[in-house]
Amino acid sequence: MKQQIYTCELQQSTRLSAGTFELALSRPRDFTFQPGQRIRLLDRYRERDYSLVNAPADSSLRLCIRRVPAGSFTASLHAAATGSRFQFSGPHGYFVFRSTSRPAVFVATGTGIAPFASMARAKTRGFTLLHGVKSPDDLYYADLFHATAGTYVPCISGKASTAARWFHGRVTGYVEKELPPGTYDFYLCGRTEMIRDVTWLIDEHFPDSNVYSEIFF
Amino acid sequence: MKIYTGGGDRGKTGLFSGERVAKSHLQVEAYGDVDELNSTIGSLAAVLPTKGADIGEQLRLIQSDLLHIGAWLATTPTAQPTALLEEFAADRVGFLENTIDRMEENLHPLSGFILPGGHVSSAAAHVSRTVCRRAERRVVALMEQLGSEQLPESWQQVLRYLNRLSDYLFVLARYCNHLTGVDEPLWKS
Ligand SMILES: Cc1cc2nc3c(=O)[nH]c(=O)nc-3n(C[C@H](O)[C@H](O)[C@H](O)COP(=O)(O)OP(=O)(O)OC[C@H]3O[C@@H](n4cnc5c(N)ncnc54)[C@H](O)[C@@H]3O)c2cc1C
Repeated sequence: MKQQIYTCELQQSTRLSAGTFELALSRPRDFTFQPGQRIRLLDRYRERDYSLVNAPADSSLRLCIRRVPAGSFTASLHAAATGSRFQFSGPHGYFVFRSTSRPAVFVATGTGIAPFASMARAKTRGFTLLHGVKSPDDLYYADLFHATAGTYVPCISGKASTAARWFHGRVTGYVEKELPPGTYDFYLCGRTEMIRDVTWLIDEHFPDSNVYSEIFF
Repeated sequence: MKIYTGGGDRGKTGLFSGERVAKSHLQVEAYGDVDELNSTIGSLAAVLPTKGADIGEQLRLIQSDLLHIGAWLATTPTAQPTALLEEFAADRVGFLENTIDRMEENLHPLSGFILPGGHVSSAAAHVSRTVCRRAERRVVALMEQLGSEQLPESWQQVLRYLNRLSDYLFVLARYCNHLTGVDEPLWKS
């Protein structure tokens, strides 16, 4: 199957945290997607996948991007000027929300929060969200999730003030020690190691749950 | 893109519909057989006679169909993610039937049993044919377990497709011997 290639223009680049930024891209008229899906940005030599953080009905396409130290593609995205043109294919992937009678638990590390932002903006509600980051500075989209999640649990793995509103530790610690027993639909997005470890914990502690994952790296 | 997480290192795997199941689960066996079939077709394509350029293209289409079938088999039929899958349509069986008919026009009618073998491409097609039959048996067992009345139409088409694909591979095996001028090994009882 041949993928359609779209062209878009950079409208705005916004800082989200010390290491993360959001790009707003013009939205090609005939491009549609489901919350949780991603696009593949293409240049002459490389291609990189990014999950969309906007709702399907929004007029711009938005990406939440970690500036990877020594990362070649993210360096050029970060340096791109307003009006720069990009090509992309998509939508790709099947990491979409499936509404069932089981409660949904979203687990993200870092920019792995992106697909959940899109789902929340598209009116998905009632979910539990664990967002694992090193520092509270990286809790981008916190306002959105305070307003939309049933339970929003920032998990801070680095040194941070002892504010009680955060879980101190990794998302795995929360899944293992704090998540009430039950049968859930788990959605895991982010680093490989997190996805592996949480999957093992689910097999051990939450059998009969469903698991969907999206690996970023 | 990273293809491994290690999440399956302890003997379980995730279905496309999200369930965690043992790797010995019948559903995993079924799409595993289809995957094996796909690989054998890849090795068949690698040894095709040069005259069979159009066969190479057919085999590529069949390999894509098998990936599509794998996705259906990896999805519990009553689960919601079936809505994400593209229908497996009846025209795929039609495609196999047309190519079977075209090849057969060039072949002598069968006068007895043939032994699998001859040209290397013919021998490879027979291996694919037998793996295909095993995949079909496994899908039948799975459909019986799942209760075939409740299955989506695509599952019925998958079953028809695997049945017809074995026929295609049988005729292709003969056709490869024909193209390369190799005598068909006949069974002398
Ligand atoms: C399905 C999918 C969806 C993705 N969605 C996003 C997204 O929404 N936002 C996003 O920022 N990235 C996302 N990525 C990662 C993205 O495609 C690139 O890999 C990333 O931007 C690095 O590109 P680069 O050329 O700068 O780095 P490279 O020079 O290719 O270096 C790659 C290395 O960077 C690190 N890395 C990659 N991505 C991240 C990240 N997000 N956070 C921290 N470290 C990372 C890893 O160590 C990786 O090995 C996604 C990847 C996949 C496969």
